[in-house]
Amino acid sequence: MGPNLWINYGEAVAAILFCIGFTNLLLQTNLIKKIIGLNIMDSAIYLFLAEKGYIAGRTAPIVTDGVTNVEAYINPIPSGLVLTGIVVSVSVSALMLSLTIRLYIRYHSLDLDEIAAQLKKEGR
Amino acid sequence: MDFVCNFPFFSILISLFSGTICSILPEKAAKAVNRIVIAAVGVMSGILLLYLLGTGESFVYWMGHFPAPWGNEIRAGVLEAGMALFFCIIMYLSMAGGAHKLFDEVEESKHNLYYILINLLLSSLLALVYTNDMFTAYVFVEINTISACGLIMIRQVGRTIEAAVRYMIMSLLGSGLFLFGLCIMYDLTGHLLMSNIKESVALLIQNGEYQIPLIVSVTLMCIGLCIKSALFPFHAWLPDAYGYSTVSSAAILSSLVSKGYIFLLIKIIYRVIGFDIFNSTRIIDVLFVFGLMGMIFGSLSAIKENDIRRMIAYSSVAQIGYIYMGFGMGTQAGMVASVFHILSHAATKSLLFIAAIGLTEVSGGSRKFIDLTGAGYRNKWAGVAFTAGSLSMVGVPLFSGFISKLLFAQAAVQVEGKMLATLIVLGISTVLNAIYFMKTVIRIYATTGDTSYPCITFKDMKVHAIVLIFFILLNIILGVNSQPIVNMIEQGLAMFA
Amino acid sequence: MYPILLPILFPILAGLCLLVYRKDLERKLLTGITGSCLVITGALVISVLALAKKSLILFYLTETLPIYFQIDEISVIFSVLTVVVFVCAGFFAFAYMKHEQKEKRYYGFYLIAFGVLNGLCFAGNLITFYLFFELLTLSSFPLVLHTGTREAIMAGLKYLFYSLCGAYASLYGIYFLYRHCDTLTFTAGGILQASPASPDGRFLLLVAFLMILGFGVKAGMFPMHAWLPTAHPAAPAPASAALSAVIVKAGVLALIRVIYYIFGADFLRGSWVQTAWLTLALVTVFMGSMLAYREPVLKKRLAYSTVSQLSYILFGLAVMDQDAFMGGLLHVLAHGFIKGTLFLIAGAIIFTTGKTRVDELHGIGKEMPLTMWCYTIVSLGLIGIPPTGGFVSKWYLAIGGLAGDIGIFRYIGPAVLLISALLTAGYLLPLTIRGFFPGADYDYNALQKREPARLMTIPILFMTILSVLIGLFPNIITDYLTKFVSSLL
Repeated sequence: MGPNLWINYGEAVAAILFCIGFTNLLLQTNLIKKIIGLNIMDSAIYLFLAEKGYIAGRTAPIVTDGVTNVEAYINPIPSGLVLTGIVVSVSVSALMLSLTIRLYIRYHSLDLDEIAAQLKKEGR
Repeated sequence: MDFVCNFPFFSILISLFSGTICSILPEKAAKAVNRIVIAAVGVMSGILLLYLLGTGESFVYWMGHFPAPWGNEIRAGVLEAGMALFFCIIMYLSMAGGAHKLFDEVEESKHNLYYILINLLLSSLLALVYTNDMFTAYVFVEINTISACGLIMIRQVGRTIEAAVRYMIMSLLGSGLFLFGLCIMYDLTGHLLMSNIKESVALLIQNGEYQIPLIVSVTLMCIGLCIKSALFPFHAWLPDAYGYSTVSSAAILSSLVSKGYIFLLIKIIYRVIGFDIFNSTRIIDVLFVFGLMGMIFGSLSAIKENDIRRMIAYSSVAQIGYIYMGFGMGTQAGMVASVFHILSHAATKSLLFIAAIGLTEVSGGSRKFIDLTGAGYRNKWAGVAFTAGSLSMVGVPLFSGFISKLLFAQAAVQVEGKMLATLIVLGISTVLNAIYFMKTVIRIYATTGDTSYPCITFKDMKVHAIVLIFFILLNIILGVNSQPIVNMIEQGLAMFA
Repeated sequence: MYPILLPILFPILAGLCLLVYRKDLERKLLTGITGSCLVITGALVISVLALAKKSLILFYLTETLPIYFQIDEISVIFSVLTVVVFVCAGFFAFAYMKHEQKEKRYYGFYLIAFGVLNGLCFAGNLITFYLFFELLTLSSFPLVLHTGTREAIMAGLKYLFYSLCGAYASLYGIYFLYRHCDTLTFTAGGILQASPASPDGRFLLLVAFLMILGFGVKAGMFPMHAWLPTAHPAAPAPASAALSAVIVKAGVLALIRVIYYIFGADFLRGSWVQTAWLTLALVTVFMGSMLAYREPVLKKRLAYSTVSQLSYILFGLAVMDQDAFMGGLLHVLAHGFIKGTLFLIAGAIIFTTGKTRVDELHGIGKEMPLTMWCYTIVSLGLIGIPPTGGFVSKWYLAIGGLAGDIGIFRYIGPAVLLISALLTAGYLLPLTIRGFFPGADYDYNALQKREPARLMTIPILFMTILSVLIGLFPNIITDYLTKFVSSLL
C-alpha cells in the first residue's frame, strides 16, 4: 500500500481533493461555499484523469512537426474526457449560481438552513 | 442492417433537436411539437420493440461507423425498446394530464421553456436507456439532472427553488461519485464501452488483479446512482421536489427520472460488471438493507405527512426501496421483479399525482387532508382514479401492484438467507401502505365535507378524465396481463448478458 | 356466455351504477330498484346452482394462475345462506334506513358486497378466492362506517386493518404454497404432495398455521377477535346482521378451503397445528361467551356471542372428523339464520324504542310480542334446545368431538361446548325474561303496542321459521352432504 501510494501520488492527491470537495458540497450551509466545493470535486476528477492519461516524456497529442509515431504522444482520450467534463461542470455551476441568485433575491440570505427556516415561517 | 435499427438514434436526435426548435416557436406550436415528438418517439420505440421481438436478438449501432473500441455505440434490445415505449406513454399521459395546471402555475413566458426541458429530459432518458458507452451515460446523466432541476423550479415559488437547490446538490454529489467511479473503472480497464469493460473486468477477476480498486469503483458508481434515484438515506430532497413542483413535473420526476438512473444501474450491473460478479460482492447486501429500510421509513414518513402530495412523494421513497430490495436479492427472479416494479410504480405513481391534483383543485387548492374531506364527491373521476391507484399500491389483485408484490415474494422464497427479512418487511410495508392510502381514500369519501367548494363534472375536465382513464387501464393491463410483460423482461435481461 | 358470472357481476354492476349515478333518487324508486336487484340476484344464484355449468376458467393472471370458478357442495351451502340473509336484511333495511343519511351509498355497497360474496362462494382456486376476500373487506367496510360518526369511522378502520392484516398473513401463505404446488385449484382432499415429517413439510405446517391465524381474523378467532365487538354496534342493524351472519363466515369458508382443499386434513391431523388450532378455538368459545355474559349493550353482547359461536364452527373444522365437520357446516347455516335474526331484532328494538342496553328493556315483550317471540325461539336455537337448528349442529359437534382422534381435547372440547351453551342461555334469556315478565313495579297503564313495520317483521319471521325448519328436517341437509363429507375426510 505504502509504496503504491507514493508512486501514484497524483491519484492520491486527486482522491484527497475529491474528498475535500465532496465534504464541502455536502456539509457547508453557505451556497457559494457549496458551489466552490462542487468545483473542487470536479477539478479533482479532472486531475485524476489527466494524471492517468499522462505518460512521462511524451507530448500533447497535437500533430505539429509531422511526427505521426504513436509513441511520441500521450493517450488523447482522457484529455478529451476532461474537456467534456469541464463543459458539464461549467453548465452545472452556472445553473447552481443562478439558483443561488434567485434564492438570495427572495430571502436575502445565502445560508440554506436560514432559508429553510424562513420557508417554514411562510408556511406554504 | 435494417432501417429500423436507426430508430434509437433517431429518437434521441429528434427529441434533442426539437428541444432547441421549441425555444423559437410560439407557445402553441411548441406544445404541438412537444406532443408530436413524444408520440413519434413512442411509435418508433413500439416498432423497434416489435422488430426486436421478431428477430429475438439485440443489435449494436455504431455512431459514425467507427468500430469498437474507438467509436461510440448505441445498443438496443427488447428491454431497452420496451422501456423507451413505456417512458413515452407515461410522459405523454403526464403532460396531457397536467397541462391545465401548468397554465395556472407557470408564468406565460416560461411555457416554451417547459417544453424545451421536457424534450431534453426525454432525449436524456432515451440516451440513458440506449447508450452503450459509459462516458456518454455520464454526460446524459448530467443533462437529465439539469432538465429535471428545471422542471422542479419552473414554478417559481420559494419552496420549489429551495427544493431545486437541494435536488441539485444531492444530484451533484451523486454524479461526482459516479464520475469518480467511472474514471477508476476506465483507469483499470482502459475502455469506456460497456461490452469491452465487461471483458476486461472478467479478465481482472480471473487473474485476481486490482480487486480493491475494482470494488471501490463499482461501489462508487452504485452509491452515486442510489443517491440520484433517492434511495432511503439519500431521499431528503424528494418530498419538497415532488410535492411543490407543478403536477406534470412531479409525475414525470417520480415515475421517469429516478427510473432512468435505476435502469442505468441495471445496465451497469449486467453489461459492465457482469451479473454474477456483482452478486458475489457485498454491495448487494448493502443495497438490500437500504432497500428494506427505505420501504419501512418511507411509509412511516408518509403516514405522518399531512399533505397529500408530500405523502405520495414519501410513498415513492418506499417504492424505490422495493426496487433496490429486488436488486439486493441477487437473483434473476429478483431482478425481474424489480424491473416489473419499475413499470408498475411508474404507472401507479403518475396516476396518483394526476388524480391528487384533481382532488386538490376542488378543495380550494389546498392539499391538507382536512380540506380534502369529501373531495371524491366533488370530482368523481379523480376520486375513482385515486382509489384505483391506492388499491394498486396496497396490492389488491387485478392491479399492477399485486403482481409486483407477487413477483417479489416469489423471488424472495428462492433466496434462503434473505427470505424471512424480505417477507416480513414486505408485509409490514404493505400494511403501512394500506394505512395511509386507505386513510386518504376514506377521507376523500367522507360525508362531512365542506360543501362550499365547486363540483367538477366530466365536461369541465375532459382531458384530465380521459388521461386518468388511460392510467387506470394501464394499471389494470399490467395487473391482468402480466405474463407477456414478465416474459419480455426476462427475454430482455437475457439479451443483456 | 358465462352464466356462472351473472350472480357475481350483476349485483356488483348494479351497485356501481347506484353509486356512480349523480342525482339523488326518490326513496320509493331507490328501494324499488334495490329490492328488485336483490331478488333478481337471489334468483340468479339459485338458477346457477341448479342449472349452469359447474366450472369456468375466466383468464390467466400468470401462466399457472387462472381466475377460476367452480361450484361444489360447500359453495351451495354458503351461497344459499348468503342469498337468504342478504335478501332478508336488505328488505329489513328499507324500513330501518328510513332516517339515515346517504341511503343510496348504503344500498350500492350492499349490492356490491352481495356480488362479491357470491364470487367468494364460487371461487375455484386460492388466488380467485383471495381476490374476492380482499374485495369483500373493501366493499363491506363502507357499511360499517355508514353513519359517519367518529366512532363509526374508527370502528370501520379497525375492521379494515384487522382484515387486511389477516389477509396479508394469508397471502404469504399463498406465496409459499405457490412454490410447493403446481396449481392452487381447490381439490377435495388437498393437493400437497409433501409429508408433514419432511423438512419442507415442517415448514408447510408453519405456513398452515399462519394461514389459519390470518383467515381466522375474519372469523373472529382469538387473539384477533377484537374488531367484531367494535364493528357490529357501530354499523346499522341490517349491516351488522349481514356482517355477523355471512361476512364473518367468509373466514370460515376460507379455512375450509385452505385446510380441506389445499393442505388436506391428513396433512394436518395429529400435528401441533391442529392442537394449537383446537386450543385457540376453544379459548375463543369460552371467552366469547364470558364476555357476552358481562356485556350490557345488546348489540355488543350479540357480537361477542358471534365470536363465541363462530369458534364452535372452527372447533368442528379443527377436529377433522366427519361428524364434527358436518356439525360445523350445519352450524354455519343455523348460526347464520339465528344471528341474522337476532341482529335484525336488535335493530327493530333500537328503531322503535331507541334503547340499546339490555337492562333498559323491561317489558319489551309486552310492547313487541311478535318480535320478542321470535327472539325467544331463535335464542333457544342458539343455546341448542331441540327442535331448533342449533341443537342438531351442536349434537353433531359434540359427537364428532368425542369420537375424534384428538387426545385430551376429546374431553375438554365437549365440556367447553356445554359450559358455553349454559353461558349462552345466561346472556340471551334475561332479555326474554325481563321482556315478558317485567316484575311488579311495571306500569301496565303506560303500555302501548308498538310492533315494528311489516317490512321489518316479515324478514325476522321468515328467518326464524327457517332456523326452526333446519332443526326439524336436518336430514335433507345431512343426506345431501354425507357423501361429499366422506370424500373430503
